[in-house]
Amino acid sequence: MGRLVLRRLGATVPVLLLVTAGVFLLLHLTPGDPIDVMMAESVDATVKENLRRELGLDRPLYLQYAAWMGRLLQGDLGRSIRNGEPVIENVSRRLRPSLELAVYAMTISLVVAFPVGIVSAIRRNTAIDRAGATFALVGICVPNFLLALLLIFMFGVTLRWLPISGYTDPLEEPWNGLRSLALPAITLGLALAAVVTRTLRSSLLEALAEDYVRTARAKGLSEWRVIWSHVLKNALIPVVTVLGLQLGTLIGGAVITEYVFALPGVGRLVVDAVFARDYPLVQGVVLLIAIGFILSNLVVDVLYGWIDPRIRSR
Amino acid sequence: MATTEPRATLDVSRRDFLLLCAAASGAPGASLAPRSALAADAPKRGGTLRVGFYIEAATMDPHLSGSKIDRQVYHNIYEPLVTLDVKLGIKPGLAESWQQPDPKTVVFKLRRGVKFHDGTDFNAEAARFNFNRMKTEPKSVRKGEVASIDSVDVVDAYTIKMNLKRPDAALLATLTDRAGMMVSPKVAQERGPELERNAKGAGTGPFEFVEWVKDDHLLIKRNESYWNKQGGPYLDRVRYRPIPDDTVKRQSLQTGEIDVMDYVQPRDVAAVKADRNVVVVDVPSLADFAYQLNHTRPPFATKALRQAVAYSLDLEQIVKGVWLNVGVPANGPIPPTSWAYDRSIAPIKRDLARAKAKLAEGGQPQGFAFTMTTNNIPINVQEAEVIQAQLRDAGITMKIKLVDSATLISDGNSKNFEMISYQWSGRPDPDGNTYQFYKTTQGTSLNWSGISNREIDALLDRSREVASQTERKKLFSELTKILQDELPMVFIVHPIEPKAFSPKVQGYEPIPDGMMRFKDVWLV
Repeated sequence: MGRLVLRRLGATVPVLLLVTAGVFLLLHLTPGDPIDVMMAESVDATVKENLRRELGLDRPLYLQYAAWMGRLLQGDLGRSIRNGEPVIENVSRRLRPSLELAVYAMTISLVVAFPVGIVSAIRRNTAIDRAGATFALVGICVPNFLLALLLIFMFGVTLRWLPISGYTDPLEEPWNGLRSLALPAITLGLALAAVVTRTLRSSLLEALAEDYVRTARAKGLSEWRVIWSHVLKNALIPVVTVLGLQLGTLIGGAVITEYVFALPGVGRLVVDAVFARDYPLVQGVVLLIAIGFILSNLVVDVLYGWIDPRIRSR
Repeated sequence: MATTEPRATLDVSRRDFLLLCAAASGAPGASLAPRSALAADAPKRGGTLRVGFYIEAATMDPHLSGSKIDRQVYHNIYEPLVTLDVKLGIKPGLAESWQQPDPKTVVFKLRRGVKFHDGTDFNAEAARFNFNRMKTEPKSVRKGEVASIDSVDVVDAYTIKMNLKRPDAALLATLTDRAGMMVSPKVAQERGPELERNAKGAGTGPFEFVEWVKDDHLLIKRNESYWNKQGGPYLDRVRYRPIPDDTVKRQSLQTGEIDVMDYVQPRDVAAVKADRNVVVVDVPSLADFAYQLNHTRPPFATKALRQAVAYSLDLEQIVKGVWLNVGVPANGPIPPTSWAYDRSIAPIKRDLARAKAKLAEGGQPQGFAFTMTTNNIPINVQEAEVIQAQLRDAGITMKIKLVDSATLISDGNSKNFEMISYQWSGRPDPDGNTYQFYKTTQGTSLNWSGISNREIDALLDRSREVASQTERKKLFSELTKILQDELPMVFIVHPIEPKAFSPKVQGYEPIPDGMMRFKDVWLV
């Protein structure tokens, strides 16, 4: 297990290099300039030139990248161009709401997906299964922003059960925090639940056709027992894969949900930073999102080993 | 798309707008009328006002700020030397009075007994420090605004003398906003760079900065030792929150999660006005929304082709169809809220026959094709599509290039466009809506069109030298007429900026700069 983790970590270095270099290049090739944005109302060209020089934005791209990398190796992500705040502080403050939202959404998706997925597989081709399929189709097809607005209209405006927008930290005020994140978590969780339901159903069906299931049934085990102790664990691998990929996406990519619900998360930070062409900030967030993806994939790999010992020994 | 609307409707709405402007300048009628029975009582202290913004503020340092939303916060924690009244007249702020012994000298008598929130005194030294900071700080965005100030002398502890490089009739109006705002020298010296994120102790205003959690909230509290003992501040605290989605922001107001919303989109105005739990105040703005035409390259280097575009546009249709009458057709860069607005000059009317004649004159009788660059936001896209359809009637083909604002600004600065959207929030003095856009300048400037016209240059310079408002108004009328002919920009609309409030909010006074000053605001 330790070797597996080490090997995976070693492979992350080139990935991170490629990601940061790619983003750096794309960002600098995009038209627009941070100083122009910051000083949109200023007429003084020399001021802008001086500032550009001070921030090193007048140097060739490879030098700028090398300088950024050099600072990164010393653990320094630089400062935001727009407001001079250290990138690391900015990003770490934003990480918390995003992580909380991701975990919350994931929990909701599992709570919904497991019962629906299992029942759909057992009662295959019945009305229940078809209802499950419809739910999944709707969950996959309805875009986030629409679902978000529908939820706001229903639970925020009409029923007034939940706050519409804004963020309270659940670790500080558990009840209010969970309430403030409920609608965005449901928005993300339902879409995720749809994917997980379908994945779980099909892998369960595959496992149910295996010989060992017939043997287990022949031993006289109850159907519930067969599913719970024999089939489920074998059917988990694809589900864990999906969840792992989705966790990475949730941390960095819940942009629309964060916008609609006015949450101070990572997704909104990176989009605003791109609009302001705040290069160091974008680089810092992208690095973080990449690390998030790598870590969640690593967790998935470790979980594979736990679920299926054959993978561990390989 | 191209059918003409019955003109009467639009004329009425335009007249309404002018009346509205007049009402706004008449003050009491336009400020929030008491709605509930309780409201008839005297102002009450206490409570937290929750304000929804469309976007996050950028910086807390008024000398480095380049974004309109920052000013909404500044006008509550900082104070300028002079301030605006509802008619855009200049009234005393941190300066009690001022005199102009000669056109190149202004003497300000400063208010005594004013303290910054950090406890230090506001005095002549502090004022001088601020102007020096605006002129020398490398990241200062105020340099252009204070360019006419050569130096500031401390005459005595509460008197400063400004020595100007040239007469500047617009200077006082400029000092009503960020360029006149005084920051505690102690804060600026000790924690200069941090001031961008933390304005603790920095201002003298009715409210003090408490904290700012980016993208979540910005909190200010009542300044208990505010110098002005008349009226407010009544509110304990004001909590600003950015809510980027317009629909969600509106719903937050309607369900009582916020008490004030900074701007209502035209498409939402009717719905919000119909809601009895919301009070809408139409604040006529200083803004000037237009398109700059690039004079430095074809096709718009040719004057007749610029005119062909202008005569093809039906501004009334655009204002009615796209802006839903939340604004008026523009006759030039000066808004109807300004004393310099000349209502005898009509906006350019659509005249296809004339447009076709101009096409022929410009050597393109069959029409021509060009590209418009504009922001990728819904109302701009709609406007672009309407313009595209209107131009098609004259045989002009317009392609639309949608960009984000960073690209728009860099395309504009580098003159990499043919026609480009320019939405200026406006300044209280007409100089701020004209000079920097139309004066001949080398290199990058806000004169994106690249217009260079001796007559315009002379008028602009003259308008800064002349002190009399009547004289200046004549100069700006003349300028507007020349601009309608030369067309560095095609002027579209002066938008109204409706703000919406919970009926609990009392005492808000709409000043056409659109800034929400909460000193005298209170909650029922």
